[in-house]
Amino acid sequence: MHGSPACINIAGMRRLLFSLIALLGLVLDGPELRADPSQLVIGISQFPSTFNPLIDSMAAREYILDMARRPFTTYDKDWALVCMLCTSLPTLGNGQAVAEPGPDGRRGVAVTYSIQPQARWGDGVPVTTKDVLFTWEVGRHPQSGVADGELFRRIVAIDVKDAKTFTMHFDRLTYDYNAINDFALLPEHLERAAFANPAEYRNKSLYEADTTNPGLYFGPYRITEVARGQYVVLERNPSWYGRPPAFARIVVKAIEATPALEANLLSGGIDMVAGEVGMPVDAALAFERRGRPEWVVLYKPGLVYEHMTVNLDNPMLADRRVRQALLYGLDRESMVRQLFRGKQAVANSLVNPLDWCADPTVRTYPFDPAKAAQLLDDAGWRLGSDGHRRNAQGQALWVELMSTAGNRTREIMELVAQQAWKRLGLTVTLHNQPARTFFGDSVLKHAFPSLALFAWMSAPENVPRAELHSTMVPSKANNFAGENVGGYRNPRMDALLDAIEVELDRDKRRLLWAELQALYAEDLPDLPLTFRADPFILPVWLKGVEPTGHQYPTTLWIEDWHVAK
Amino acid sequence: MKRLAAHPPAVFGLALLLLLAVAAAAAGMAEGWLGFDAEWLDLSAQMAPPSALHPLGTDEVGRDLLLRLLRGGQISLAVGLVTALVAAFLGTLIGLTAGYLGGPIDALLMRLTDGVIALPLLPLLIVLGAVDPTRLDLPAELFRSELAGLVRIVVIIGLVGWTTVARLVRAATLTVKVQDFVRAAEALGAGPARIMAVHILPNVVSPMIVATTLSVGNIILLESALSFLGLGVQPPLPSWGNMLSAALEQMYSDPALAIWPGTLIFLTVLSFNLVGDGLQELIDPRSGKD
Amino acid sequence: MTRHLAGRFLQALLVMLVMSFLVYGLIGLMPGDPVELMAAGSPKMTPDDVARLKALYGVDRPLLERYWHWLSSAASGDLGYSRLTSQTVTAALAHPLSNTVALMATSLAVALLAAFPVGVIAALRQGRPLDHGLNLVAFAAISLPVFWLGLVLIILFAVGLAWLPASGVATVGGGGLVDRLRHLILPVAALAVASFGHYMRYMRAAMIGALRQDWIRTARAKGLSWAQVVLRHALRNALIPVVTILALDVGTLFSGVLVTETVFAYPGMGKLIYDAVMGNDYNLALAGLMLATGLTLAGSLLADLLYGLLDPRIRFR
Repeated sequence: MHGSPACINIAGMRRLLFSLIALLGLVLDGPELRADPSQLVIGISQFPSTFNPLIDSMAAREYILDMARRPFTTYDKDWALVCMLCTSLPTLGNGQAVAEPGPDGRRGVAVTYSIQPQARWGDGVPVTTKDVLFTWEVGRHPQSGVADGELFRRIVAIDVKDAKTFTMHFDRLTYDYNAINDFALLPEHLERAAFANPAEYRNKSLYEADTTNPGLYFGPYRITEVARGQYVVLERNPSWYGRPPAFARIVVKAIEATPALEANLLSGGIDMVAGEVGMPVDAALAFERRGRPEWVVLYKPGLVYEHMTVNLDNPMLADRRVRQALLYGLDRESMVRQLFRGKQAVANSLVNPLDWCADPTVRTYPFDPAKAAQLLDDAGWRLGSDGHRRNAQGQALWVELMSTAGNRTREIMELVAQQAWKRLGLTVTLHNQPARTFFGDSVLKHAFPSLALFAWMSAPENVPRAELHSTMVPSKANNFAGENVGGYRNPRMDALLDAIEVELDRDKRRLLWAELQALYAEDLPDLPLTFRADPFILPVWLKGVEPTGHQYPTTLWIEDWHVAK
Repeated sequence: MKRLAAHPPAVFGLALLLLLAVAAAAAGMAEGWLGFDAEWLDLSAQMAPPSALHPLGTDEVGRDLLLRLLRGGQISLAVGLVTALVAAFLGTLIGLTAGYLGGPIDALLMRLTDGVIALPLLPLLIVLGAVDPTRLDLPAELFRSELAGLVRIVVIIGLVGWTTVARLVRAATLTVKVQDFVRAAEALGAGPARIMAVHILPNVVSPMIVATTLSVGNIILLESALSFLGLGVQPPLPSWGNMLSAALEQMYSDPALAIWPGTLIFLTVLSFNLVGDGLQELIDPRSGKD
Repeated sequence: MTRHLAGRFLQALLVMLVMSFLVYGLIGLMPGDPVELMAAGSPKMTPDDVARLKALYGVDRPLLERYWHWLSSAASGDLGYSRLTSQTVTAALAHPLSNTVALMATSLAVALLAAFPVGVIAALRQGRPLDHGLNLVAFAAISLPVFWLGLVLIILFAVGLAWLPASGVATVGGGGLVDRLRHLILPVAALAVASFGHYMRYMRAAMIGALRQDWIRTARAKGLSWAQVVLRHALRNALIPVVTILALDVGTLFSGVLVTETVFAYPGMGKLIYDAVMGNDYNLALAGLMLATGLTLAGSLLADLLYGLLDPRIRFR
């Protein structure tokens, strides 16, 4: 036994290594794909925590529910407001919306909607104004558990004209007066009983207790099977009033780990990966590099704005020149080009360039380390012989960059920024936390020392009131509501935000938006990085999926999805 | 040493560990030769093939793979060793005391062990991650910021990882303490501390070694699992675990990125186990060859 | 014996109580209560919304009061609702529990069936090439990162050869027993490989220890056959430490399958507990963790009991 086992060891090890490489490089032909043409299996990365359309909000739930129910209004793929459950979009122009005095002297508005005449719940009961009144009752009830009560509080009264027509009275006339996208209709005839005790409604709702009840849905599909944490099965809804969808069955599977999602795609476990709640761009790019002919990857640049929020209470960063220097010193152009292969672009402000109100002439910060160094010198941060910048008091210029742990793309952006700023003479530390800690503690409670890298998701022409208004700085006093987590306070910005909301004239609004973007780009309460693109991995035989780029998912138009001829 | 030499797998493991340790220790030198450090990234050279400049090529952000593996080795090895020692020390102390003294002390310690075993490790890591000592923005704290994460992992795994050793040591103690030579020592008036240290410890050392050896490997594996969940060693610090889990996203297109750290983890853990196995036979004189 | 068991049972209850408080406090200490997490995600929430929801979810009351409330309703059998799944906690636990039990039991059975005989054989051939070979196999098995092994298995058997499904517990729409078993094969394999290595090592070490005892030699000298000695005496002694490990593992394995469950998108307890803690779902997290704690304690109780049954030298006082 002398010596021989060691030889076996090495030989065995080598064999193991070889077989390992063989395993990993294995590219055999996948299984027979597309077994059942009447069914589409979609992979998403998250399972919804609730199926009630009114409580909380969550991308995975919207993705699934939008196949089974429809909002009154929504933004289409060209980011224009359109009607879905209503018959025509009410406007001030067509007389279905009328300005009227509001409750406290402000200008209010009365908007009249008509429900699609054939709209019926899955059990045959027509969708009527009774449901509208009930939804409003639930939405504004303090104990119902609706997270975002804003829309429901703005409605002062609802007049019912007949079973299908109603008029909503809003307390103020804003430019988006006719958008009631989040007014998610509930079936009064089924949910009334569950609402008997409002405090228990969020648990007793039939959407949770009896998710497959056909009466809960009126869309092209209805949910017929739910395996919590695993999948949801949807089948054609016979009561659907619109064009019948192509697939008899849709299965939505939740698979969290990205490599597992990819494996399922390759093994035929799923047909496609949703862009809205699917893979990160870098994983999709890696997938694309394999050059599999069975799939196409669509990238849709969207409204998810990746940026670094600056803690403006940090004395080092309170100086605007330092913030500008940070941005000049970071080569975002090549970072974004290399990381996202041109699928995403550098953001110059918080308004997406695809949005009509984006100002193409907004100030940009091209990579310019000399200018960055100059700005830091001007701000009193001199480069010492040790390569660190210090101020007159001898304090070293230091930033800590925080983000969510485990997000590869963000980690890479952090590393690039760290290297770039170190070259400018800053001390840069990274500190990542699990999402719960990061958002719940560091971001929300304003407890990040310098910079926090994360994203906002918004709707088209979304007024960033929660993010930039001085009254929206989260604090103990306001229960940490609001998203102005950097503590940005600028009276001019407040005035602009207030003005945009109530300006109905699009051209005047465009000017206000331009000023807002200019101010934002000058003040830099955030360092803009990029607008995230959603990668849709679709089988070549699937047609009709048109990514929207905003928070309203592609499944709102699932009737258009079909198998290529 | 001679007897260890008679155990070829252990020799192999030891040689491999020494090699890895030397290589990891030479990371600084290698950085000197190559003229850049393990953190230096170059986005225009993502996943470059091996070359004179980058002996093993580069990773997904254009960092030198060899240097990252060496630096990652330093961290993975340090985390594994230090944590295992902390755990072994605590476990032996607790297991020995509980097993020998018995009675209420045993009950108390073992219920403590039960409780700790049942403690959810991952949530604990998150909680302690939130209690962040570096939040005081003192310049002196700057360098600690990235290491603090390491210390956190060592402390937490160490504090909850002693249970296996403790249970094993206790079990062995229970068997040993009823044997004649312990009885004899007691009859001769030796105190509990002396009996535990002189008579029982040598007889419970083998299960302890088996457990500790396995635990070094386990800890390295645990760190990689934590990295897979996004809770392990945080960037920019490399560890084999976070390199491996990062490479998984490119597993199909660039398997080499996953193979290197994966193989190193595998070999290291294997080596620790083989060495431990050899050591066990060395320490236990009765396990002669037949 | 009975008194001893009753004592242990009481102790276990006490540990459960202390644990429930600890866990409750632990989750309470974590940053971000459920409503704050909601607020971080919905820009339109006003301070009033936050205050209203905090009152609704009861998170505006002090921790101790909330704990007491939980404890008293839990004692009366009401575990409350899970916030993350909007179901009762009992309903939310049922499926993951049965999934995990199926996964664990199968992988443990597979691992033990392989580990026991292999461990015994290795012990009997201690120091010979066969022993070294088997040892190497066992060590290799425990030296693989489980998530990596899982993915390699998926790539090989689900993507490459297309023999087995890549994830989930069953084909959509149910599927029979065969279908469930097919889904179990890969995760069970991933889990069993490491367990096999561990138990084979323990079995071997314990067996060697047992064979070394003087009374084994005595038994041989008395003329008992080698097989009798091994099977009747040595194996029985060797089982003691192995059974201890096994009984203790039950609880930890429970929350420890998290990684495997994540890789295979297998909805089990590990994933449930992790998500509940991360998502600040107090009721669910507590119930899940208490279940894991209870199992661990039951396991250690069982280990003690088996200990007494298997080793006649140990007597409970």
